Amino acid sequence: MSLLFRIHQWFSFLGNFASYGLAYLIQSIVVLIFVALSFVALIYIFRKYMARIQRRIGPNRVGKFGLLQLIADALKLIGKESILPENRDDMAYKIAPVIVMIATILAFVLIPFGDLAYFGSLAVTHSKVTLVLMFGILSIIPIGEVLGGISTKSNYALLGTMRAVAKDISFEIPMMISVLAIVIVSSRSYVTGDAITGGLSLSGIVSNEIIPYGIIEPLGLLIFFISMIARASYSPFDLGESDSELISGYTTEYSGMRFGFFYIGLFGMVYLSSFLISLLYLGGSNGPYDSYVGFIYLFIKTDILVLISFLIWVAIPRIRIDKFVDLGWKYLLPLSMVNLVYAGLFVLYIR
Amino acid sequence: MSHWIELNIGPVHPATHGIYRFRVKLNEETVEDVDITIGYLHRNAEKICELNYFVNNTIYFDRMDYIDAMNMELGYLRAVETLMDMEVPERAQWIRMIMAELSRIAARMVGIGALGLDVGMLTPFFHTFHEREKIQNIFVEASGGRQEVNYMSIGGVYQDFNDTIINEIKEFIAGFKGKLEEIVKMFTDSEIFWQRNVGTGVLEPDIALDYGVTGPMLRASGIPYDVRKDSPYLYYDKVNFDVPIAKSKDNMGRFLVKVEELRQSVRIIEQCLAKLPEGPYFNPKAKKSAMLLLKGQGDVFTRVESESGEFGVFIRGDGNVKPYRVHARSPSFKNLAVVPIMAKGSLIADLIITIASVDAVAGEVDR
Repeated sequence: MSLLFRIHQWFSFLGNFASYGLAYLIQSIVVLIFVALSFVALIYIFRKYMARIQRRIGPNRVGKFGLLQLIADALKLIGKESILPENRDDMAYKIAPVIVMIATILAFVLIPFGDLAYFGSLAVTHSKVTLVLMFGILSIIPIGEVLGGISTKSNYALLGTMRAVAKDISFEIPMMISVLAIVIVSSRSYVTGDAITGGLSLSGIVSNEIIPYGIIEPLGLLIFFISMIARASYSPFDLGESDSELISGYTTEYSGMRFGFFYIGLFGMVYLSSFLISLLYLGGSNGPYDSYVGFIYLFIKTDILVLISFLIWVAIPRIRIDKFVDLGWKYLLPLSMVNLVYAGLFVLYIR
Repeated sequence: MSHWIELNIGPVHPATHGIYRFRVKLNEETVEDVDITIGYLHRNAEKICELNYFVNNTIYFDRMDYIDAMNMELGYLRAVETLMDMEVPERAQWIRMIMAELSRIAARMVGIGALGLDVGMLTPFFHTFHEREKIQNIFVEASGGRQEVNYMSIGGVYQDFNDTIINEIKEFIAGFKGKLEEIVKMFTDSEIFWQRNVGTGVLEPDIALDYGVTGPMLRASGIPYDVRKDSPYLYYDKVNFDVPIAKSKDNMGRFLVKVEELRQSVRIIEQCLAKLPEGPYFNPKAKKSAMLLLKGQGDVFTRVESESGEFGVFIRGDGNVKPYRVHARSPSFKNLAVVPIMAKGSLIADLIITIASVDAVAGEVDR
């Protein structure tokens, strides 16, 4: 039973077509609002957490304990004049931040949030190939970055774009290979050794993952975590922005809410990557009584990962571009191959 | 094949601490050429000094290296006092030494914090500024000014040290020792920080000497030259301190030299506090009512060791109450000139760190 069918049941007097349509709409809105709220809370926590590390107080003026700071910031960004660079490619310039933001938000739709007592599973999509869809959507984001960088015809943005592309190319492959290893491992139940289906959907992987895959293949967890930091592009891998060198990289010429969209994309990726890691490697919503509170397990795992990401963000300096590309091609790619072979051998062994 | 683009680093850019402009010729990420444009903060300080009484010029020197104001004042006043044969009482000299070293620490804190920012770590910046803030509070207590202090004056200092100030300094020193190690650990514990600093921005000693580079940059190239040691002023010959050098000649060497000098500054301040005698804090010949009448004749050139290197002041007096000519030999100006040599052929990320480790202050470069 899932949230979709619950809502469908409530509105079943409208007839099949209308009630399903309504159910899809309502559950999408509910899940997205929930994600957005937790996301806002997360940014507040990030700013407080960062301030503590840096001997500051952090936001404490707007609202109680500065809780409304983010809303004030958002209003400020909306109210700001959006300065348009003169030599821009208008279409590309305006569409780029929208692509980044929408792709990031869209990816949340595919996440199986786990079960919640009466409502059942809180997943918006029930596709059998959510894993494939997820990485398909994630690969849209670089398009936005490239469009945004090149359309402004600024040298800073151009260099930032080149770095962002180098980053995406060199870390996409190890990431995908380590995901492939997950698919291989989850193709067989390690309890009975039988072949099982559902390995291409996130919910299928989670339901097979009685022992977290991070324990079975820690190397894969490491590779995926590093690649996800690179995808989310925060420090140490914030090369697309490199704020001390290239001012703001590909977002240099953006201002106002268009810049805000990139900002949402950045924090959204941090959140999303933590979700993916906890789904693929840390057991997702599995745990005792997970048909009632599975959803809480997922959020606890994710939030801990987000805090770890923030700690990395605050504490580690930016790596240089050549060392960074080296890391991708010379270390992570061979390691991910080793991991893939290991996954295959593991499946052979449990059979 | 040369596909290059020109990138402007400055005048408004996060990597330029102060206002100067680097026009960088880039081949993809590699720096082919750097052209430095300065003068954005030129305020005619030397010319203005000719229009003022000797005593009034201190504030213009405050605003040269505005993060290391005490040493700038000291540099000017040393020249003026030599010109006028003005003796400075013993207590005033010890006080000046304490203040100069505190100011050096405060300035280094900015430099190191900004290096952190340029490497991409935000955190140490706040910690270093926290320490700088404490020093500025001491300055406020002593002079009323946070940054442009105008504390020293001809023949002594503006105000004597009272117990509050001495206690504050002692408290600061006690806390700073541990805090410095904590801040340094933030940098040196990071593998990436080493990776980015070791071997980048190499400055050969002969080039450094050719260009007149001084201060931590010269010492990091392996030449132990420090004005405080080689031609001591104040009572630097009566305190024990070491002049650290680095053999590696690169950005990491400069960072480590700067850090070690901070430890030496702490040592100096501790000795000064122990030796601080009782007595007058300014020469009665330069009493406040007669200050404008002080005259000087002849040419003098004196030097002090400021935060960024050897700060020299030349003054020619023609027997009048105003100087005939004032010239400042500013270390940042010379240090900045070697950046193109250090950065040639490196990556743009290295250039940024090299600029940060040179730590030139625009006010002093342009004067």
